[in-house]
Amino acid sequence: MSEIDPITLSTIWHSFQTLVREMRDMVSRTSQSYLMSQLRDLSVGIWLADGSTVAMPQGLLCQFIGTKHAIKAVKDYFGDDLRPGDVILTNDPYHGGNTHLPDWGFIRPIFYHGELLFFTLVRGHQQDTGGSFPGGYFPNSYDIHAEGLRIPPTKVFENDRERKDVMHLIWTNVRWPESVRVDNYAMVATTRFAEKRMHEVLDRYGKETVMACIEEMLNRTEQAMRAEIAAIPDGTYTGEAATDDDGTVLDEPVWVRVDITVNGDSLTADFSRSDAQRKGFVNCPAAAAYAIAVGSMMPLFDPALADYHNEGSLRPITVITPEGSVVNPRYPATVGAAPVNVGNQIATAVGQALSKARPNRAMAGWGKHRGCYVSAVDPRNGQPYVRTTFDYDGSAGAVTGHDGGTGPLSIGSLSTVRRGNAEEMEIRFPWRLLKWEVATDLMGAGRWRGGGGIEWRAVNEGTDGRIATGSSDGDTTQPPGAYGGYPSPCCRTFLLREGKPIRLKTHRMVEIKKGDVLVKISGGGGGVGLPTERPVELVALDVKDGMVSVQAARDIYGVAVDPRSFRVDEEETRRLRAQPQKTWDVVIDEESLEISVVPLAAG
Amino acid sequence: MKQLTIDVGGTFTDCLVLEESGQLQRFKAATTPQDPTQGFFAAAGKAAAHYRQPLDRFLGGVEQIVHGTTLGTNILITERGAKVGMLTSKGFRDIVEMRRGIRNLHGSMFDLFIDPYKPLVPRYLCQTVEERTLYTGKVLNALNEEELRAKTRLLLDKGCTAVAICFLHSYANGENELKAKRIVQQMAPEVYVTASHEILPVWREFERFSTAVVSAYIGPAITRYAARLQGSLKQHGFSGRLLMMLANGLVQVVDECVDRAVYLLNSGPAAAPSAAVHLAGLHDKMVGHRIHRNLLSVDMGGTSFDVCVINNGEIPTTTDAWVGEHRVAIKMVDVPSVGAGGGSLAWIDSLGLLSVGPQSAGADPGPAAYGKSEEATVTDADLVLGYIPGDYFLGGDIQLDLKRSHEAVARVGAQLNMSTDESAQSIFTTINTVMANLITEVCTNKGHDVREFTMVAGGGGGGVHAAAIARQLSIPIVIVPRVAALMSAFGMFTMDLGLEYARSCARRQSQLDFAEIGALYADMRGQAAKDFARIGISESDLSYRATVEMRYVGQFHEVEMELPGQELNAENLATLLQNFHAKYEAMYTYSMPWRAAELLTFRLRVTAPPRPVEMAVPARATAGVEAALRGSRQCLFDGSSARVQTPAYDWERLEPGHSIRGPALVDDPTTTVLVPPGFFCEVDAYRNLVMRTE
Repeated sequence: MSEIDPITLSTIWHSFQTLVREMRDMVSRTSQSYLMSQLRDLSVGIWLADGSTVAMPQGLLCQFIGTKHAIKAVKDYFGDDLRPGDVILTNDPYHGGNTHLPDWGFIRPIFYHGELLFFTLVRGHQQDTGGSFPGGYFPNSYDIHAEGLRIPPTKVFENDRERKDVMHLIWTNVRWPESVRVDNYAMVATTRFAEKRMHEVLDRYGKETVMACIEEMLNRTEQAMRAEIAAIPDGTYTGEAATDDDGTVLDEPVWVRVDITVNGDSLTADFSRSDAQRKGFVNCPAAAAYAIAVGSMMPLFDPALADYHNEGSLRPITVITPEGSVVNPRYPATVGAAPVNVGNQIATAVGQALSKARPNRAMAGWGKHRGCYVSAVDPRNGQPYVRTTFDYDGSAGAVTGHDGGTGPLSIGSLSTVRRGNAEEMEIRFPWRLLKWEVATDLMGAGRWRGGGGIEWRAVNEGTDGRIATGSSDGDTTQPPGAYGGYPSPCCRTFLLREGKPIRLKTHRMVEIKKGDVLVKISGGGGGVGLPTERPVELVALDVKDGMVSVQAARDIYGVAVDPRSFRVDEEETRRLRAQPQKTWDVVIDEESLEISVVPLAAG
Repeated sequence: MKQLTIDVGGTFTDCLVLEESGQLQRFKAATTPQDPTQGFFAAAGKAAAHYRQPLDRFLGGVEQIVHGTTLGTNILITERGAKVGMLTSKGFRDIVEMRRGIRNLHGSMFDLFIDPYKPLVPRYLCQTVEERTLYTGKVLNALNEEELRAKTRLLLDKGCTAVAICFLHSYANGENELKAKRIVQQMAPEVYVTASHEILPVWREFERFSTAVVSAYIGPAITRYAARLQGSLKQHGFSGRLLMMLANGLVQVVDECVDRAVYLLNSGPAAAPSAAVHLAGLHDKMVGHRIHRNLLSVDMGGTSFDVCVINNGEIPTTTDAWVGEHRVAIKMVDVPSVGAGGGSLAWIDSLGLLSVGPQSAGADPGPAAYGKSEEATVTDADLVLGYIPGDYFLGGDIQLDLKRSHEAVARVGAQLNMSTDESAQSIFTTINTVMANLITEVCTNKGHDVREFTMVAGGGGGGVHAAAIARQLSIPIVIVPRVAALMSAFGMFTMDLGLEYARSCARRQSQLDFAEIGALYADMRGQAAKDFARIGISESDLSYRATVEMRYVGQFHEVEMELPGQELNAENLATLLQNFHAKYEAMYTYSMPWRAAELLTFRLRVTAPPRPVEMAVPARATAGVEAALRGSRQCLFDGSSARVQTPAYDWERLEPGHSIRGPALVDDPTTTVLVPPGFFCEVDAYRNLVMRTE
């Protein structure tokens, strides 16, 4: 095809964009998993037969950008034995393209007049995937087999009919099989919907035109991406981030380090300096590491490209993840906490490195994920349950020119996951919320400050049970600020038992009792730029709003604000800002649970 | 006596008069954003002038006015609302600001260089008080009245003129919220007070709180406007009934609206689908059988394009709406919208592709042809293509400068290596594609095949673009009503007077207590009887529609089902469940009868029918269609670079039975209709234009 008219091009392009949005809506409207439906811990998309990404969909970075590896695994296994109406299920980190075991992906090949043209995928975090404990984020499994059911590429639908024996085998090996079944049907139906829509597009415009348009879009995006990379000064930029520990070897941080080298219009992200693969469950499979690395670069390129990312965006980027490292573990390493514990560090390190390259496109680290899995019994119906949520996470990091939002969460999802509703949570789980609001001062200060830190408290009205803090992070490790902005403060989790706080560290399994109050205090986003350069009136407004204390305004921002009138003492402020600045820390007292600003301890 | 509808839009205020004879008269005046009542009376004044009557006499002869207004939406979008304070449950100060972490619905996840959400209530005006109700409705902690007074005093001292009271689980028991409301009202009778459960007695606090805050934010301005309008109308001799058009597709007396101001959002667009249903119904009646079961109501104005998919005559509603950055969870007529209209700007995006909209030149500066701007808009492209008349835009009220349009369109073309004509054609096609895509998205979202629908096109720009969009989508029939440019105003004649009630009460199918549900409905009916008695409508005139929101156990999104009888009982439960499985399957291609269902929110819609709209039927044509010719224009059509001499007819002079073969144009003081080549257009009994592909 010689020339594609620009109107057809943008029409076809738009139809793909619309389709992935609709797919996402459909899964969330029909699934029952709290994670998939409410929190939207799910991903969808469309790929070419060779695995090239057509439309960069929305979702969790780790779940979909690496799908080309999953598609390769499907093709390697099935060869020519793929037919219309097939649906392939896979979750195995050691069969390409997958993340951790709870993220099940349903892949459907899309044929047109007998020819395989596309794949579509719906991947989402299942309520359960077997293994020694419910939920997925539990430390100390012996190996990957103990983490749950490993599903290599497996045909679960043929000719659009369920292979009942196969699904029966699978559901028999998970907890809450009926619930998982509901979600699986929602996911499969969504791939069927995608196939129907793709056929409509092909019918309307013809295969030649559609395929030519896709190629053209990939090329145009690649050109734009290369121009964008070329605008970054050549050089090597480093970033690093850590998770508190690996859950098995305790209290020893695990580091992800990246060297991003920009050379003309291409870019290499080399993770070779990262820690070796760990005994504990934090290891991140290569496909997921790749996906998070490239995905977290995208926001730092021209926002005008945001809606266009596809295979063309990926072509100029090389990611090096040496085998045997935490970003590419060897079988049978455990990977349960991959998306959060090492995954979010990949995103944070990449953000830090690229921020160094361009001050006008800097992004601070986001508040750490603060998840946990509670398993106990709901006395209202006698049924066992698992409760997890993103509700208690801190918020977005600042970017150059904008404060971080209070509310957006998890850098690894770029805020495509959501918080739940308190009322929904209380109806669904035997926990009563006591508090869910912003904690004063608990975010990274800066010219642009991070979004608010969160304090969350709830009382256990169910039975005694168990809590796994495996998806929690950030007690000792902090996402960085940029250009003099403060990092995200350290977090804490406590159980209040008869009023006395018991500290729960991250990546642990702990007994929990009826009547215990779970307290999660989570740092907000990091800041960008020096706090002493934040406009005085914004600091005063933050004090008035209770986001920043009078003391922090004075110590960190160098602004003297009257505690009653919230007026600024201009002269005192000039003096404060002119003097040499100390560095401060935001700490949580382990007795009173109060937050205070103290001078940063030397070293 | 006459009936009037007045729809105050963003650019124009539309006024329709339905005479005793059934004749419709159409009037348009400029909207006056500073004080919309001016535009209101200017439009009414034009109508009075038409009847050669002073305004007082004219309004004195009007029995009823139905009024739609963009006031609420505009206040919200332009952030000109009240200083709102919020009183909420202790420990939950930031529910609205956190927005559950949800970002712009249609924004890309990769675009992070944006400002954070700015809630309508700044944090210092959001105060918490000790109180707590559980999801069972049990009050765990009584309201701390002393603390409430102190916090209220604080808000009043800061100058709040509106207060939203938002407590957890108030949908299950509104006691604490009501207590707080009474105290605030006692302390400050002049302040506008909203309790969240009175606006939206439905679970999920973020959605309920956000909706209540929006209502409080626009409430004082709506109250002032309603008072001013009622006062002026009285002064001008009007003694009839003034009804407001609501977001949920019902109309209501103005006094009932001011306490639920949020229902006045989207007040205009919510009426267009009813117009489509009514007009298509009339057409069917004339033809003698029902051919238009499925309708696409589209409305293309200056800045936005609204779509409503009406399947089998049922106007859809949604509780998933956002207005700007704010979540509004009341039930609204589902009229999705994109930034596509006559004022939409053409631009070249970062990948070198032509884009049109969503930015708009609006009414000011308006298209390049208005003489104030250099930027090309859709209207400029339409003018260059010859579709709209330079000398008869709004009946000649606005003179269009063709030369300026040419220059603006040429500038866009230069960036694409296109001639001016090609560029104009591309702008035309691109904006049609944007609109067609919205239609496809809306249709497929609901599982409908767009080709089974009849398009009813309204709005000032609908007539020019409708046939081209229909061709892209293979929609077989397009109806452009005689009242196209005032479609919402027309729809307001056909609305039921009504109110909607809801009660949340989550129960599994196996745990239903029919007496409990019966009591909920009795409560809602009792409330309705009181509400309608206040406006002089007796219970015997009311119709009820009872629905329930259902889902499979564990899901998070519900499907609204009609109750199979007046009340739910052990016998008809099976029918309800069967209907639910069937509807679910129709929506999502599969169902799960093996899985239990749960019932969550019970709803009751109570309506009194409108006065019937009896439109006069004009006489059939006696003269040939040539008699309606008013001239011709040189037009450019799809894929051809040669201009075609295209006849232009005067719609006023077209009569029932006339037919026109495309290409042709039909001009009217309020709009122009393009009949492209390959379309055949008939003038129906009410002088609506019905276009079909040949």
